Amino acid sequence: MQPDILIQTLINGVFTGGIYALVSIGLTLIYGVMLIINFAHGEFLMLGMYASYWAFTLAGIDPYLSIPLSAAVLFGTGALIQLGLIQRILTAHILMQILLLLGVSTLLTGLVQFFLGAQPLTLLMPYSSFGVRFAGLVFNLPRMIAFVASLVIAGGLYLFLQRTKTGKAIRACAQSREAAQLVGINVKFIYMLTFGIGVAVTGVAGTLISPSYPTTPTVGQLFSVTAFVVVVLGTMGNFIGALFGGLIIGIAEAFGGLLLGSDVKVIVSMMVFILVLLLRPQGLFGRAKT
Amino acid sequence: MNQAEKLARESVKVHELGTNWLRDLFLDWDKVQMAAVLLVIIILGLSPRVVQSPYYMSIIILTVLYAYVGITWNIVAGFAGQLMIAHLIFVGLGAYTTIVLLERFRVTPWLGIPLGGVTAGLLGFLVAIITLRYGLKADYFALFGIALMTVLRVLFMKIKFIGGGEGIWLTFRGESLEKMAFLTKAPYLYLGLGLLLVGSVAQFLIYRSKMGKYFLAIREDESAAGALGVNTALYKTLAVTIGTAMAGIGGGFYVIYVTFVDPPGVFNLGYNVEMALAAPIIGGLGTLAGPVLGAILNKPIAELMRGWLSAERAGSSLIVYGAFLIFFVLFLPRGVVGLIQHPYERLRRRLLTNLQK
Repeated sequence: MQPDILIQTLINGVFTGGIYALVSIGLTLIYGVMLIINFAHGEFLMLGMYASYWAFTLAGIDPYLSIPLSAAVLFGTGALIQLGLIQRILTAHILMQILLLLGVSTLLTGLVQFFLGAQPLTLLMPYSSFGVRFAGLVFNLPRMIAFVASLVIAGGLYLFLQRTKTGKAIRACAQSREAAQLVGINVKFIYMLTFGIGVAVTGVAGTLISPSYPTTPTVGQLFSVTAFVVVVLGTMGNFIGALFGGLIIGIAEAFGGLLLGSDVKVIVSMMVFILVLLLRPQGLFGRAKT
Repeated sequence: MNQAEKLARESVKVHELGTNWLRDLFLDWDKVQMAAVLLVIIILGLSPRVVQSPYYMSIIILTVLYAYVGITWNIVAGFAGQLMIAHLIFVGLGAYTTIVLLERFRVTPWLGIPLGGVTAGLLGFLVAIITLRYGLKADYFALFGIALMTVLRVLFMKIKFIGGGEGIWLTFRGESLEKMAFLTKAPYLYLGLGLLLVGSVAQFLIYRSKMGKYFLAIREDESAAGALGVNTALYKTLAVTIGTAMAGIGGGFYVIYVTFVDPPGVFNLGYNVEMALAAPIIGGLGTLAGPVLGAILNKPIAELMRGWLSAERAGSSLIVYGAFLIFFVLFLPRGVVGLIQHPYERLRRRLLTNLQK
């Protein structure tokens, strides 16, 4: 095997890993604050992809310019779902929480299939397969942009949580719902905000990958599996961990794809998932449970 | 007088009143539920005398199958509270085992269906020991199940020997008891009802056994159950293994009846909700009659709602089942049985006070 191919695979893996990290940040943020695994996560990604597709098809808005649009639409959807549905079952049995989100996921997939059809839609932009050539290696432009964006979003969220008053309130809720309430934080509002932000970030992720992946009603399912693996690997609730987890899975899948064929690379993530559960269930950045 | 004393006195009084099997039956809620299940089974068994159309017959057979699969999920999720969301994995594995054995190795389904239960139970056992080890968060179990379903879909599409992406068909057409193939629908219905009868009795016995009580204790509060000396790891693994093995048997019957299985059809989260989750949730999760009562309501309501949605357009059944889940979790978390239980309790109390006079 030529060294070129290995380096190229590594580069592809890193960029794909950036996308995986981007897709996982929202999931891990919501879990970190609310202790709820968003089983409808992949469907929000799918909605972000559709938002960009229709913004381009109907109004000719470039996907990269439709980022604020899909962020706003998804934030609204997420906030509504939090206030109308999730708020009611925060103290219910965890099985009920999962079933509710599974219902949301099923309903969203169904609605999109019903109104927009099940056929794959491809957002073909002139730059979709544009590659920057450098020293015999190819850097795919949309993936590079997604990679940079995931760094920017993770960094931005980190600053938001660390430096702003709202961010501090969110962190307080993550540490203890009751204590946050006692010091006068509006927990309901913070939860709405957190769920909205988590979903909006996921929608933006969908927008950013829409030039590189075909949009279908079930596209979210495959990505949500990867996102689950990434957040467990990088420790649930830790989005710097999600960044590293994404990179590890991206690189592992790239090399796995090279060896096994690209359509079975999801099996590589599964192997990583099993290994993490067996060897280090608290994830790379977590402390062991006492 | 405290509650316990009251109950003790009640039971003494009732005992003194002598035995009347109908009254004893009525006073035991578990047995009332079981009687309702048996009644449903008998009515469904008589249905071929009335129902002529093969279309309605096939809906009845699917209802029986959904009820059975619902029971298997009820044991894992309803009794033991384990978050096995992607339960259809095990139905799918049982189906594949049975049909591959029959088509590739000429093994009769009479053996293939139980073997389907064995493979599904083995996989369930493996999943349980990977994810339910001491100290691991319960939610990982749900995540792992959903990830496993996606991976199996991709994997099974790749394996040509078991049909790949096109799926695998039963090639034999005709009448053969050995191959469990029939030209009319009625024999399938009786086979399915037999399975459902065995499943409901097993569910009843598990519920009333010591093991069943441990399952409930784990569901209510795992750490408290552990502190009281319940070996939680063992009983969680047992619940999952029993439920998944029974699901595998259901899968074997499913494939014999529909004569076809393919990876996107069976490793499918949407169909998972329809086939495994909907019936117990509609009927009442964790109750004895829930899966059966839920299954009778499941198909008719779903078809009715799809009718309103104007029909066969893609996605309509996903909308229906998504709405089902949200509605029942928010407004009727104890399902139809929960709805009936309240008036029943009042009636029971009235009967008891009348008896004591």
